[in-house]
Amino acid sequence: MIYIFYFLVYGFLLTAVIGLLASWIDRKVTARVQYRVGPPILQPLIDITKLLGKETCIPRGASKTTFLMAPVVGLTSVILVSSLLWVNNINSNNSFLGDLIVVLYLLTIPSISIMIGGFASRNPLASLGASREMKLILSYELPFVLAVLVPVIKSNFSIRLGEILGFQAQNGVIVGNLSGFLALVVALLCMQAKLALVPFDIPEAETEITSGPLIEYSGSGLAIYRLMKNMLLFVLPFFLIILFMGGLRFDGLHLLSGVLKYVGLIALIMVIRNTNPRVRIDQAVRFFWGPMTTIAIIAVIFALLGK
Amino acid sequence: MSLKLKALLKSPWVFHLSTGSCNNCDIEILDCLTPRFDIERFGMILVGSIKHADVLLITGSCNRQSVIILKRLYEQVPKPCLVVAIGECSLSRGMFIHSYNCPVPLDKIIPVDVYIPGCPPKPEAIIAGVVKLIEKIKREKLKSKKR
Amino acid sequence: MDRKEILKDIREKFKEDIINVFDKSPKRVYIEIKPESIVKLASHIFKDLGARFNTASGMDARNHMEILYHFIFEDLNLLVSLRVKLPKLKLEIDSLVSLFEAANWIEREIHEMLGINFKGHPDLRRLLLSDDWPEGIHPLRCDYKEWDKNVIRDRGV
Repeated sequence: MIYIFYFLVYGFLLTAVIGLLASWIDRKVTARVQYRVGPPILQPLIDITKLLGKETCIPRGASKTTFLMAPVVGLTSVILVSSLLWVNNINSNNSFLGDLIVVLYLLTIPSISIMIGGFASRNPLASLGASREMKLILSYELPFVLAVLVPVIKSNFSIRLGEILGFQAQNGVIVGNLSGFLALVVALLCMQAKLALVPFDIPEAETEITSGPLIEYSGSGLAIYRLMKNMLLFVLPFFLIILFMGGLRFDGLHLLSGVLKYVGLIALIMVIRNTNPRVRIDQAVRFFWGPMTTIAIIAVIFALLGK
Repeated sequence: MSLKLKALLKSPWVFHLSTGSCNNCDIEILDCLTPRFDIERFGMILVGSIKHADVLLITGSCNRQSVIILKRLYEQVPKPCLVVAIGECSLSRGMFIHSYNCPVPLDKIIPVDVYIPGCPPKPEAIIAGVVKLIEKIKREKLKSKKR
Repeated sequence: MDRKEILKDIREKFKEDIINVFDKSPKRVYIEIKPESIVKLASHIFKDLGARFNTASGMDARNHMEILYHFIFEDLNLLVSLRVKLPKLKLEIDSLVSLFEAANWIEREIHEMLGINFKGHPDLRRLLLSDDWPEGIHPLRCDYKEWDKNVIRDRGV
């Protein structure tokens, strides 16, 4: 019974509220950087409400079940990951063996659901966007897993999130050492690609004219995709905070430092987003398999040496 | 007013469609999106796909080839949607009223909600026209509620 | 070659084809020629003198139809136009596609708008008019009448 409570309240509601707020901060800061006024504070919520009120058109010849189920699958996996992370953050004795691997697997499903949605709509532009998403997934998963390996090594080879949190409570945050810092840098850039933000938003706002894999979605399908992307804007930095910065604690002064950690990561994402042009897909693949993997391997070697 | 309509008026997503214009009205529409007349504060975004659109901005006098495409695109927009006709050419074909290639004006092909005259209309005129559209929708809903 | 030499060369080589030369301004020359000799003259100006074919324009004067072919000499800043007058009973002229491919589409457009037949053109189908336009009606003629019954020609006020 308690699990349903965790699932709904922590996993869905709290994440959705913080995610929508983060998306509003993103749009407002981008508008201010471009010397204009941005949208009002409830704008992301109004967008999703409006989309739920429009009709849903399914293209003729598209596979109906896949087309309608793809956004739901993505949203479910994000809610699952979020409830897992919150449960571990509140009480670090609640983790089970191997839940880090479960979280890593579940985090690939949102990107795959966008890809499947693109292939299921019978449209050549959507297939093109979906194939680029596929290449992007292949490229950034490798340095991401290598960067996640560093906290595992440093906390005595344990793959339980609770033990990583406990290790950081005793010995100081992982990002304080050299290997942790390098791994955080690599993980930050991989996160930028996973969230599909500039400079790596190749599949989605590809030509700024057609929206890539989401071109045939309208009404409730599009609303679920937007909600999934906004919730991912909270879940991914939260995952990195648990791994590298010791999680969020809510007693006394640690609440302020927790909020500062999250806002700091969001601010870094926005700075990278507003100052860079978009790269091509082959440049992105070369970037992730070249310099990023090298830095991640160096970080792993440093972690093994004990620095 | 129902929640659906309130949300629609607070975040209308705009799609821009040209049926054979001289491109002056198109440039003025794109001027509206620049930081000087910022329309993102009203929640409007320029979208790329017709399936994401709420408001259609139509310019140009419809010639015989583009009427076919216009009808097909209007069927693909998810309803409820609003149509705005911008510039003289889409109101009544302007100076091309006797041309051999422009048989009918725009509002005999698809239903139009608001007309914005001008050749080309200034961005202030376009914003004023959209505000008038929002007021008109609010008043109609109020009238049908009172009945 | 400069401007005077070019005009002298054209005048001498094609004395019996040229009807009139109108030297309007330093940049503009109109040469009126007979319809049968358009290919000879165009090939001489394009190949031997090195000009560039710009475009062609057609017009319906009341009693005859005219086509102007515009050639540009880039270095001299000179535009030479060859004017051809066609009688309304015999609207035919040789096509220039064998000389340069640039004449292909402009001759298709002149054919569908004015009804002039280009002999030797490889592919004389319609270019700009829509598919439901009936055959044989040419819109830019002087005596064009509205054929469509469903048009609306008033502003509605």
